[in-house]
Amino acid sequence: MGQIMQLFVSGLSTGVVYGLIAMGMVLIFRAVGVMNFAQGEFLMFGGYLCYTFNQLLGWNIMISLILASVGMGVVGVLFMRAAYWPLRKAQARAIIVSAMGASMVFKEGSRLIWGSIPVKVDRVLEAPVKLAGGGIIQGQYLAIMIVAAILMLFVYLLLEKTFVGHVMQATAQDQYMASMVGVPVIFSIAMTFALSAMITGIGGGLLAPLFFLNNTMGATAGAKAFAAIVIGGFGSVQGAVLGGLIVGLVEVFGGAYISTTYQLVLIYIVLIIVLMVRPQGIFSSKIQEKA
Amino acid sequence: MKNKKKSSIIVLLTALAVFALAPLGMGNYMLRVLNVALITYLCVLSVYVLLGMCGQNSFAQAGLWGVGAYMAANLVLRAGFPPVIALFAATAGTALFAFVLGFAFFRLRQYYFTFASVGLMTILNGLFMNWEPVTGGALGMQNIPKFSVFGIMLESEKANFYFILIICVLTFVVMRILFYSSIGRSFMAIRDNEIAANCMGVNSLLTKSIAFGISGALCGIAGALYAFLSGYLSYQTFTYQQSTMYLIMIMLGGTISPVGAIIGTMIISLLQEFVRPLANYMQLIYGAGIMILMVVQPEGILGGGKALYETLHKRKRTGPDAA
Repeated sequence: MGQIMQLFVSGLSTGVVYGLIAMGMVLIFRAVGVMNFAQGEFLMFGGYLCYTFNQLLGWNIMISLILASVGMGVVGVLFMRAAYWPLRKAQARAIIVSAMGASMVFKEGSRLIWGSIPVKVDRVLEAPVKLAGGGIIQGQYLAIMIVAAILMLFVYLLLEKTFVGHVMQATAQDQYMASMVGVPVIFSIAMTFALSAMITGIGGGLLAPLFFLNNTMGATAGAKAFAAIVIGGFGSVQGAVLGGLIVGLVEVFGGAYISTTYQLVLIYIVLIIVLMVRPQGIFSSKIQEKA
Repeated sequence: MKNKKKSSIIVLLTALAVFALAPLGMGNYMLRVLNVALITYLCVLSVYVLLGMCGQNSFAQAGLWGVGAYMAANLVLRAGFPPVIALFAATAGTALFAFVLGFAFFRLRQYYFTFASVGLMTILNGLFMNWEPVTGGALGMQNIPKFSVFGIMLESEKANFYFILIICVLTFVVMRILFYSSIGRSFMAIRDNEIAANCMGVNSLLTKSIAFGISGALCGIAGALYAFLSGYLSYQTFTYQQSTMYLIMIMLGGTISPVGAIIGTMIISLLQEFVRPLANYMQLIYGAGIMILMVVQPEGILGGGKALYETLHKRKRTGPDAA
């Protein structure tokens, strides 16, 4: 019982981070209609920014996380300006390839800046936590869940309750129409990219104490977040979070009871089953595929 | 029009002649690089069939490449077939594998198919890494004999080069035939408008599966050739990253013709050999270069060349002389 509880909590907490990345991807997808193939690199880059503030400059971890997320906001805007905006009228696959190019730049740039030796950052919560079921988990898992929950609530409030959020949603639904009613489309899309990069980057800072940071971690994390989106329902923010949790749980329980080597394979088998049985995902998306 | 066709054939033949003469001044290392580039070209051609002709974006091509390679290696090493039969069997086997999977995967449209193909890629890579009885697991498969036919063993790099070059030329010709055939036209009808194609009587599920099967056949040949050439297979070769590389290559060259696949493959494969001193920064330069190219010319080098040709041509016709 204790072990199951322990696995459940660790699955849930890695799951919420996948959920954060997936949420970032969905925000961008809804805004521009193209999947962002460099989202995993946001996670890695955010983790490294956090490492810079926390380890190299020696600041408190909470301050580092906040600074890293601000930095990621800037990175997100730059990324949008360089890799997406010039191509907004081109075919989707040109945008995909340009994002892949950007992800190579991120990966190699961080290797040149921070080196290829894996690094770590401080934990938010040092002490282990006792569970009701009798198991003990690392405090960081709890911290991840709390921070992620706050972030998700923040994104929800921002999108649903504020003027900026409504502007962003209007742009996501129909760029042309939004520009007709006076929405500055470039500002709105830049906001979306910044928000997406910020929440993903914080995810990187939170995961860093559990798994070492290195410049190739983005690809794996991106692949899992990608599975989360498809499982949860393409284009739905709630679906992305739920899909992230499912991916996290499948990963941890599959690793414990079936096979550690087939973890990623298991996730993708779940993905293909979901695609075959319910292609629209668990939550069906608001934006339907055009005929 | 006829003139244009003739001149493009002349250009292609000249390029082929340059290629055929290339190994004369080259060491074994450069030849190996060239051989691998030609094999990569076959895989990029498979992306051309799917993406350029049929409009379906797949990230599973490196996985299919691996299926062909492991199939050929198993047929030669474990079942004891001669390499020629293994080559054909791996091609047919991979084609069949892709064709059958196509029926399941093309129930999903566009984006969803792309996602499923990422899944397929990951699953195949997981199998290559862990399925020890068949793929040798993490150690891979070793000591695959060189290709031989009618008692002639292709020992040297140079012999292999000509062999692979002949196969590449043959597949290129087959692709041109496919392009002008009715099945090729139905691919393009699906690419341009699937619903309209269905209305014209194109069975889109079957047609897309055939396209996936053809791309599987190309990857199968490439895989078998790679197995015989390198003599060693490791799961690290057949990765999702490799698949993304194929997409980058075809987008770099241009998706409008198989020539785009040649241009893209050769630029990416050979460039890094010529700028060795910059190896540390190479990936960074690649990434930035791809971004810049996509921004400047989203249709790839070939698309850009075509647009340039058309503007020049138009200017000539509507210029003061013509009037």
